[in-house]
Amino acid sequence: MHEDRDAGAPERGGDEEGLKVSRASLLRGAMAAGVALPAMGLLAACGSSDDEGSTGTSGGSGGSGEAYAGALAMTAWEAYPDQIRANLAAFSKQYGNRVDLTLIPNIGYGPALQTRLQGGQEIDAYYNFAYNSTKFVDAGWAKELNDLPGVEEMLDDMFETSAARHKLPDGRIVSVPYFSAVHLPMYNAAQLRRAGFARPAQSLSEIYDQCEKLKADGVRAPYAAYWTKQFSEEYFILYLVAEGIVPFDEEGNPTFQDDAKTEGVLDWWTSMYQDGLTARSILTDDPGKHVAAMAQGTSTYFTLHHYFLKEIRNARGPASSDVVLDYRIPGENGQSLQIGEVVQLGAAAEGGRADAAWELLKFYGWKDKDGRYGTFVSWAESAALLGPYPGLFQDPQFRRAFPDYYDLGQLERAFEASQVVPARVLPWYSSFQTKVGDRIQAMLLGQASVKDTISSLADDAKNFAAAG
Amino acid sequence: MPPQADTAAAAGRTATASSPRPSKPARTRAQKRSRRAAADRRFGLYLALPALVVVLGLIAWPAIQTLIYSLQRVALNGDTRWVGFRNFELLFKNPDFIHSLWLTAVYAIAFLVVSTGLGLAFALLLNEQFRGRFLARTLLIVPWACPWVIAGIIWKWFADGDVGALNGALYQLGVIDEYKAWLSSDTGALIISVLAAAWRQASFAALLFLAGLQTIPHELPEAAKVDGATAWQRFRLITLPWLKPVIVVVIVINVIFGFMQFDVIYALTQGGPGNATEVLSIFLYQQLFVYTNVGMGSAVAVVLGVVALLIGLLFVKLLYRSGDVTEGVS
Repeated sequence: MHEDRDAGAPERGGDEEGLKVSRASLLRGAMAAGVALPAMGLLAACGSSDDEGSTGTSGGSGGSGEAYAGALAMTAWEAYPDQIRANLAAFSKQYGNRVDLTLIPNIGYGPALQTRLQGGQEIDAYYNFAYNSTKFVDAGWAKELNDLPGVEEMLDDMFETSAARHKLPDGRIVSVPYFSAVHLPMYNAAQLRRAGFARPAQSLSEIYDQCEKLKADGVRAPYAAYWTKQFSEEYFILYLVAEGIVPFDEEGNPTFQDDAKTEGVLDWWTSMYQDGLTARSILTDDPGKHVAAMAQGTSTYFTLHHYFLKEIRNARGPASSDVVLDYRIPGENGQSLQIGEVVQLGAAAEGGRADAAWELLKFYGWKDKDGRYGTFVSWAESAALLGPYPGLFQDPQFRRAFPDYYDLGQLERAFEASQVVPARVLPWYSSFQTKVGDRIQAMLLGQASVKDTISSLADDAKNFAAAG
Repeated sequence: MPPQADTAAAAGRTATASSPRPSKPARTRAQKRSRRAAADRRFGLYLALPALVVVLGLIAWPAIQTLIYSLQRVALNGDTRWVGFRNFELLFKNPDFIHSLWLTAVYAIAFLVVSTGLGLAFALLLNEQFRGRFLARTLLIVPWACPWVIAGIIWKWFADGDVGALNGALYQLGVIDEYKAWLSSDTGALIISVLAAAWRQASFAALLFLAGLQTIPHELPEAAKVDGATAWQRFRLITLPWLKPVIVVVIVINVIFGFMQFDVIYALTQGGPGNATEVLSIFLYQQLFVYTNVGMGSAVAVVLGVVALLIGLLFVKLLYRSGDVTEGVS
């Protein structure tokens, strides 16, 4: 055996020599490839940089006022992606800057964006939730917009209430609008008529009474609302505002607990759920399911953003055409809550690139170069969304975008009269928002009393505000 | 010892046997082979190096960074301040964390039992001969092919209080007399979230078990049958011991998935109703991305990782204890 091996040794040795060479070659080859590939990438990057540089000044080196003709980076969530692309193409056409769009799915957008910004990704403009906007400025991920050309004009052009979403009580301007909407009740007029009601409910107790009758008449879950954990806070504030309760003072301190009517709101909420006037599954039902319930006629009332009427009508269910909007939220003063998300200016860009990014924000959140509310008109056409500008409501193209089942005059008045609740953009507010979901759902399930829930919520708000 | 080293040593022994001192050519050959063996090892290391760098970069470094963050107060602008074990101290004083910790343990145990049990049951069934076995085996992969979040969404509809198939089936069978909003009760939401996650994981476990079952020599259960062993005795005394190595792997994987589960629960309930399904991973998500408390979130991650690791190791230890896992195979 050994002899056999030894006899074969020189030959194997020869093979191994060959192998040695090939190993070395392989390693050398791999090293060479390892060096060459990034270098090629670098060269390619240099090439593309040159291409861009040929048409303008690099953002990093140019001072403010120097034109930047390179690409801008924008990040958005995946709502109407084709329309986003069309809007950005329109921007490129007017201003000459290409915009590289990154889309992130709606679910998980916040964490994904946060992670990217924390990791140092350079984004010139990005969608954000209004409640995160101040936090992102404080973190250094978004720029304050004060003193940028046209920003004050933009705020002056807005409805007075809407400006509070973008300009903080301390004077800092943190964002521009992406879209706006207003909470309104949608109801099935035919079902109400059949139940003997001449008009939709105007107070919380009237909703209860009507729903009780509708339930007895066979409507499975008369009242639909988006009462999930994440969304409970928005309803909480909406119902408070409609009752004329001031939820927070100007400094952002909670005041809802001092108003006796708050207890009435939560009592009503609890009764609606516990007495079976909502779907039992309402704590986890998403808007799609409520839209289907309205279109099918298994719910009579649905309170959410005004644009959901379009979805109910487009669903073409047997009851879709019976559903109409009431332009007043049931409650003592009937005011609604205005909502809207925002676009923020990334903190990384400097000089000409930052100027170009600001132009993009103005284009996206206000007017285009021709002075038209082009982006907002496109959102109206796509999804019946609003913008916070009175002038927009006069735009003929914008008006045409709304189907005739919307009374645009009434919608404008409801929007104008609606409140923003400035505390909702303070840096600690998203933490409070999460707690509201926990506490309200526990209350609805009978695990906490209304009184305890109110006092716990007030404590939560104070604690989060104190912690910053 | 690698084969090359054996050969080199053998060559050395042969030379030693024939003369008191190794002849020069023999010594040279041995040295040459030893050098080659070392070169081979180096070559192996070079080949593994890229993978090693990736693993270190993607797993080890973030883990170390998380550990560091857990001992710091981290501002969003990147400023950090050492706070020692303050984050952990605050964490264990937080009743919400204690609730989540307890809930996670309950969830993980339930998930482990259901997914392992179901997986084993599926595998035993699919190891039998019957018509349509190939189709059934193919279908077994379907849940596993679903991403976790999709499994959550499927189960959200399946367990829906108004139109869910689960309600429909139970109603038709006479088990319930009216549709139930499973996800709107504390216990219901927890059970459904366990079942949803276990449904997906059971198919993976079944694949592993099935692979293990197919290595059992036919003679063993047949001989036992001839000797009068009942089906239960054959399962307990032949199948289970034989599957021990697979069981260890499945349990460790299921413990990890049970403790780390996030997607399914988030898609189903977002941790609700109230905080009824707010397991540690959801608590961690809130700390990091809602409260943006990176230090505290990292501390939760460390606790979660350590708990999962300890329990996984405990199972390995318990199952390897008596008689050794390999005994079943040999």
